[in-house]
Amino acid sequence: MNIRDPESMNEIIGNVLRYGVMVSAVVVLFGTVLLANSSGTSDTSGILTYYPNQVPHGTYDVSFQGLITGLASFSAYSWIELGVIFLIATPVSRVLISVFLFLAERDRLYVAITTVVLALLLFSMLVTPFIPFFHA
Amino acid sequence: MLVFEFIILIFVVSIFAGIFGSIVGLGGGVVVIPVLTILLGVDIHFAIGASIVAIIGTSSGAASTYVKDRVTNLRVGMFLELASASGAIVGAAVAAYTNSPLLELVFGVILLITVIPTLMKIGEDIPKSPELKGLSKRLGLRGAYTETDGRLIEYNATRPVSGLAGTAAAGVLSGLLGIGGGGFKVISMDLAMKLPMKVSTTTSNFMIGVTAASSAGIYFARGDVNPLIVAPVALGILIGAAIGARILLKSRNPTIRKAFALVLAVAAAQMILTAIGVIH
Repeated sequence: MNIRDPESMNEIIGNVLRYGVMVSAVVVLFGTVLLANSSGTSDTSGILTYYPNQVPHGTYDVSFQGLITGLASFSAYSWIELGVIFLIATPVSRVLISVFLFLAERDRLYVAITTVVLALLLFSMLVTPFIPFFHA
Repeated sequence: MLVFEFIILIFVVSIFAGIFGSIVGLGGGVVVIPVLTILLGVDIHFAIGASIVAIIGTSSGAASTYVKDRVTNLRVGMFLELASASGAIVGAAVAAYTNSPLLELVFGVILLITVIPTLMKIGEDIPKSPELKGLSKRLGLRGAYTETDGRLIEYNATRPVSGLAGTAAAGVLSGLLGIGGGGFKVISMDLAMKLPMKVSTTTSNFMIGVTAASSAGIYFARGDVNPLIVAPVALGILIGAAIGARILLKSRNPTIRKAFALVLAVAAAQMILTAIGVIH
């Protein structure tokens, strides 16, 4: 596969998406098996209660430290969260790879377009959750 | 309900959501949200968190097939992402300061109105392709794909600025409510840019994952992404999207348009019902 060949762009982007969802699906499935194993016969009401006055609104840990310790102790929620993070990362990687593919094609206009899209995407994913203006 | 029953039910529903969502370019949220809220009484915030995951799953799951088959127009998608990504940030910023039921009502009514021009084109196979000129030419907004009957369809896009404006509205809506962007994206490409229906829905499908990912961080941090709900949603959606992608490649444009008009009307009705408090 020659990355300078415009035709191979579809193949490469298609593969990034395909492998991204595969990894995500395997990890989510593993977490789901853990969940069914640990609490399959419990009632859902405990997990499905939404707490409007506390953040996070659920009963599960969404912090980075919580995720790491949860993964180490085979917590179902943490493994599912990791799978979801892989899923969210898939379209982001697709945009990132596109920048390089357009660079290889020497298509300056689209290098600029995809770079701006990537910047906007990373800004809203990683920065806006920490700006109070976005919460009010 | 027991945890394992809930997982199986949501898994099955999500397979259907993935099939529909990947064909019409709206993502699976439009099916997942009402089942969770109306049928199972799950809080709307958790339902929207699940919808974000459903949209990313539908998008990435089906796009791998569409992109390899060259139905998706990568340049059109990436160009329009400029508008949807900016719109999503604006939407997220104003969300905290505006009356969202009112906006939801306005967007819902606009979507419902756009069903009419979509229906007026029912039966259209391939639109008469405009000449490639101006900004569209500079941006290389043209493409070709093979139809179900083996014809090579070559097409050009027109009115890229109108397309950008419609997609910006899609982005604002996604950033504001976490839902509803796909409909405006398809309409922008179908009505403004005059792309073949298949190209419009699959290119929308390609873009919605990026738009949803941009607001995923904030929903995740708030704890709106509930593992019990999103696990069966993600698994079902990915299977459904793989099936839906195969169905789309074998379907004709008029069939896809009918499916799109139907799902669009349901999505619009859902937004209006949520705005006036029937769904909560």
